[in-house]
Amino acid sequence: MKQLHARAVLQALGLLLGVTVLVGSAGCATVRPEQRAILADPTMQFDEKSADQAALEHTLDNREGSTGGGSVRGGGCGCN
Amino acid sequence: MKVLGSRFLPIAYPEARPWGPPVRASRHRVRRSLSGLVAVCGLLFAGASAQAQVASLDLGSALFVEPSKRSGLTVVNPSATLAVKPNDWLTVQGAYEADIVSGASESVKGGPLSNVDVVSSATHFSDTRNAVTGGFTITRASTHLSGSYTYGTEHDYRSNAFAVSAGTDFLQKNTQIELSYGRGFDKVCTTAFAASDAPSSRLALDNSHGCFTDDKKRASRDISLNNFQVGWTQTWTPVFTTQLVLSAALQNGFLGNPYRAVVIASAGDQALENHPENRARGAIGLRGKYYLRNLQTAVSVGARLYRDTWDIFGQTYELDAERYMLPWLRVLVRARYYTQTKALFWSDDYTGGEPANGPRGQYWSGDRELSPLSSYLVGGRVLATREGRPGQRVLGLFLRFSGSIGFDLLKTNLRDFTLGGRSPDDTLALLWSIGLRGEF
Repeated sequence: MKQLHARAVLQALGLLLGVTVLVGSAGCATVRPEQRAILADPTMQFDEKSADQAALEHTLDNREGSTGGGSVRGGGCGCN
Repeated sequence: MKVLGSRFLPIAYPEARPWGPPVRASRHRVRRSLSGLVAVCGLLFAGASAQAQVASLDLGSALFVEPSKRSGLTVVNPSATLAVKPNDWLTVQGAYEADIVSGASESVKGGPLSNVDVVSSATHFSDTRNAVTGGFTITRASTHLSGSYTYGTEHDYRSNAFAVSAGTDFLQKNTQIELSYGRGFDKVCTTAFAASDAPSSRLALDNSHGCFTDDKKRASRDISLNNFQVGWTQTWTPVFTTQLVLSAALQNGFLGNPYRAVVIASAGDQALENHPENRARGAIGLRGKYYLRNLQTAVSVGARLYRDTWDIFGQTYELDAERYMLPWLRVLVRARYYTQTKALFWSDDYTGGEPANGPRGQYWSGDRELSPLSSYLVGGRVLATREGRPGQRVLGLFLRFSGSIGFDLLKTNLRDFTLGGRSPDDTLALLWSIGLRGEF
């Protein structure tokens, strides 16, 4: 039981470390507005609210035992 | 209740419901709802046209078909959304959607040891779900706040859902964070059993007559839904961006299908499906989009892990690619693989025997979404966009107009689920969708 607890703590610490490194490195990644032509394109957007995507999510929600973890609004624009 | 699959239980999202069998669609209600939407849209657009900078209208429809010799299912899902921007910082939105469902489903679930003919128990049904949504989005320099309310109704289900979300970007707009929360207050119709009645004595509904009236043979049960989500979108290079999404959901109430009975004794005794009243669910999804300059194609790769307190562990892997075939024509292709383990209390047969068949404690289920399964999906979409030149409008009306057609094929492999020992034949699903969008 103690071993399990220790492993869970280690896993949580590892996850925390990973997220911290990712977030920290995010600050180093600077894409300037004039470099965003491709990122601003609809093909590079997450959660594009298209009819086919909505229908597909609707279907999968009803055909699988899991849910969540889908896309949220976000992408590469932020051009102005 | 959920809209695709009367045989399945109501998981989760506020707009979702486990829907069920023998009720007849009341077309006048659909017409009434559509008329209401048109009126609301008309009012919104009339107000908007006077001073709005932009309004958009989305019309869509999807057709879901699950062929089967014995059961089968068809769902038509029309929808309309009107969004109006009365000024630079506010968007007001109204939407309507319906699920028009028809088909047949087995109302009794039993496994290979069950002494009932569950195959011939398939009954025809039809039902219509109507849902209207109103919402707004406030956008300021680098933040936005959205709120919405959705009301959904069926013969045997009512849903009220509120959702709020807020997002901001920082680090020179390279980082975006979005938080969202949804709250649902739903009601489902069941037979009139008391909470103190033994679950094994509870009966399944055979139709929705008398639901949400003072009929003594019907009862209304609450379902409480809480959904939380955090999304982090990060741009790393001019051609690479990622998104990490964490989701959690809490459900409480009647989480089974009120129409589904399960064989729980070798003599053929049946009882209403009995699921736990609480379920906590969590998922983490990570996606990356990369633009391949030499192929002029945007490629997306994603993975999602899911876990809940019913002991289901799910994994999803996705891949898609999209490119412009012409300046106004985009083509997207996608593939997806999904696999999940069974719920702790899942058994294909509850009539006896251990461990492959037999009792799983105090709960029993006939829901194949809770059985171990995997699925493959392949599909795609073609999207055409026409933009008006400066000072001109497409068709004399739209600043921008787009249309899309999508098709997906979903094949499910049920590793354990049978109907009286026979594998169901409705495991192939076809999904067509069409969408039109005009911006004014």
